[in-house]
Amino acid sequence: MASLLDASKPRINCSMLSQHIGRGVCFVGRVEKVHPTGKTFSVSDGEGKSATVELNEPLEEELSGIVEVIGMVSSKGVITTTTYNILREDKGIPFDLELYNEALKVIHDFPQHYPFEVAASG
Amino acid sequence: MSKPLRGRNIRQKSRPGLKGGYSESSMAGGYTQSPGGFASPALSQGGEKKGRTRANQIIPCTVSQLMSASQADESFRVGDVDVAQVTIVGVIRSTDKSMTNIQYKVDDMTGAPMDVKQWVDTEDQSVDSTVLPPGTYVKVSGNLRSFQNHRSVVAFSVRPLEDMNEITSHMLEVVQAHMALSKPQTMSGAGGGMSSSAMPMSRPTMGGMDGNVGGYAGANDMTNNGLSANQNQVLCLIRSCPEPQGISIQELKKRLGSMSIAVIKQAVEFLSNEGHIFSTIDEDHYKSTDSDD
Repeated sequence: MASLLDASKPRINCSMLSQHIGRGVCFVGRVEKVHPTGKTFSVSDGEGKSATVELNEPLEEELSGIVEVIGMVSSKGVITTTTYNILREDKGIPFDLELYNEALKVIHDFPQHYPFEVAASG
Repeated sequence: MSKPLRGRNIRQKSRPGLKGGYSESSMAGGYTQSPGGFASPALSQGGEKKGRTRANQIIPCTVSQLMSASQADESFRVGDVDVAQVTIVGVIRSTDKSMTNIQYKVDDMTGAPMDVKQWVDTEDQSVDSTVLPPGTYVKVSGNLRSFQNHRSVVAFSVRPLEDMNEITSHMLEVVQAHMALSKPQTMSGAGGGMSSSAMPMSRPTMGGMDGNVGGYAGANDMTNNGLSANQNQVLCLIRSCPEPQGISIQELKKRLGSMSIAVIKQAVEFLSNEGHIFSTIDEDHYKSTDSDD
């Protein structure tokens, strides 16, 4: 799955999951519930909708706050994780998830100014 | 012709008041006055202003834009926009430190991670502590380079993000900058849409942004330069005035019969705050900062 990191990973929210089935994506959301096994957890996006994230290995740390998950969207809309990154808020500045959601809409409305593909250079 | 030495002291003494033996010259401190040396870019390169932007700005970009930029000699172009100095925001995937530089791979999700090279000051002992670990979100500022068809960024700054909202703001700044710097559309705005784009879009015009929630509805009113229709009309008129003292508010009111004085004054205040115009002989006369004279 390492090759997923070498391709583009469009930033999406829950409403865009169904359009990216079988693709690598980048999902930023707030950790909601972590399953006792530590192998799956739910995240909510800036619109309040939830998605399920699955891991290959159980979590080794307490996961909370805002997380950025990179993985593939399964046919059931579950994100199978390649890697994840906690967006640290320990400098006291909270991450504005609703604003990030607005920005998502902007970049998807203007793909010519925020391309998620590498076009052939002229 | 040699003068016979007559035993007189022919050495010229330094004149009183000029200590240290400096001769009088017009070069104080050794600086010469070179034209355009520290002048603002707009003045020094007046004759070269082409229809598109020049590469003397620092432009927020995505890795995908940098990788697909077209190249002519040493200069790069993303669509209509010249890029040389750029900023990208992404997460460090790997690091490689050598004696003279640190190489990072920075991933901003738009493609494969980008090579970023940062030169290291070998005199600086504290350098070891500044290698940033993988997983760190950073803002990279530097120059786009291409060597043997391989693109990279030579960074003069790699700063770890303390406020993760900079990820969001960078996304917005990329779209705003590339939109604002692209070929200006016709002033009519409506129906002009995104004709400068070669990529097919599912939404044909700017007005078709359905699903706007919250703070994003404002795009409907804007033309490509970020100004509203009223502001654009006022700016146009001010730009077209050839007189040195500029155009007066009264004159603007005469020419824009449909706009009230209050609306005109609001537009003028906005344009002035944004730096598009400035007042001349008094608070009622304005000239454009971009006029073509």
